Amino acid sequence: MVLPHLDAAVRLARWLCLSRADADDVVQEAILRAYRGFDGLVARDAKSWLLVIVRNCHRSELASRRRRPTEPLPEDENAQDALFARAAGPEEQAASADEWRALAAVLMTLPEDHREVLVLKEIEDMSYREIAAVLGIPIGTVMSRLARARTGLASQWTAAEGSSRAVR
Amino acid sequence: MRCAESVRVQAHVDGELDAISSLNIEQHMRQCGECGDLHQALVRTRAILKQRLGNERASPSLRTRVLASLDKEDASPSAMSTGKARRSWRDPAFWWGSLAGAAAAAAAAAVAVVIVSLPMANPTVDAVLAAHVQSLASAHLIEVVSTDRHTVKPWFAGRVEVSPVVADFGSRGYALIGGRVDVLMHQRAAVTVYRHGAHVINVFCWRAPAGPLPRDVTRVGYHLVFWKVGDLAYAAASDTGWDELVGLERLLRAQAQAEAGPPDVSKRE
Repeated sequence: MVLPHLDAAVRLARWLCLSRADADDVVQEAILRAYRGFDGLVARDAKSWLLVIVRNCHRSELASRRRRPTEPLPEDENAQDALFARAAGPEEQAASADEWRALAAVLMTLPEDHREVLVLKEIEDMSYREIAAVLGIPIGTVMSRLARARTGLASQWTAAEGSSRAVR
Repeated sequence: MRCAESVRVQAHVDGELDAISSLNIEQHMRQCGECGDLHQALVRTRAILKQRLGNERASPSLRTRVLASLDKEDASPSAMSTGKARRSWRDPAFWWGSLAGAAAAAAAAAVAVVIVSLPMANPTVDAVLAAHVQSLASAHLIEVVSTDRHTVKPWFAGRVEVSPVVADFGSRGYALIGGRVDVLMHQRAAVTVYRHGAHVINVFCWRAPAGPLPRDVTRVGYHLVFWKVGDLAYAAASDTGWDELVGLERLLRAQAQAEAGPPDVSKRE
């Protein structure tokens, strides 16, 4: 029942965790929890419900990690490529890779709550109402957070593009 | 990005505006350069994000792992509720064992929590309660607004696999105000919504499980009653008094019987 939404769960988890391996762990845990029917049913449809559980798993994973010695976050340039390497299909390879690289770099620097609202809207194409249910916040907050996330993304992206052009 | 309309531009791009507002904002964007630019930027960003990230998939290895773990889960579904597991947390050896290592302790604690909470936390009760509370907190209480059962009942067809009893008992204090679909116990449930005085009553209906339904309970101030009619399970949830809630149950049961036709047809023949 939640398996059809495995891909959506993976997409959200990657943006939350910013690491492929961690994201896979979180998703596996989330599917198990969903399967066992833990966490109650807090969202209307299976997809939203699974995404809620993914967020919860990510939270508890973070919390348990804080109690353990911290592992360094991936900071090298390859981390980004590792995260999104498979994203480009053959037909997109012509599209400007530099443009994408700049955008991805900016995305990764955004705060987590901005990243997740962007993913839910732009990638999953969920309605404000559905996003509100997943995040457990009012619709008005979804709108304002989305606006701030987009402003942040746009301004930093412009700045990044400007500086990369200046370097060349 | 200071134009007061920027929020509506965003809502337009997100497909959240009705047709008339969309027309308005499109006209505005032709006149306001700032909003026109904003619109272009939003569309461009979305295109790139979607193109690059929209076809991200779970890796084959993750898919395999997930399926394998679900299989394992199926293979030992009763591990949590067997008598053996239930005893184990009372057993001193259990505690000594769990002290052997931090990881083992964490795992055992998790199991203990499950075992301790199982008798009290019935998943059906939890699911109905969560759905009821959620419906009150969100704008989602009603998806089809109607006091006419001939509107509400057909609305469920094609949306859920069950066809619940729907009737307006307005004359007896239970006014039908609409319906919606919730996901309950991993399946779609038909929810009919009644108003009784100032209280909302959600009546859930889903395909009855093989086992018994939970007993009627009161949880966090909400009363929940459960009953079965044939192969349909019903649950009513509300913060009304017990008597009022049971009153609705009685009316719905009677209605179900009436709709099923004269119950003694076969005997008469």
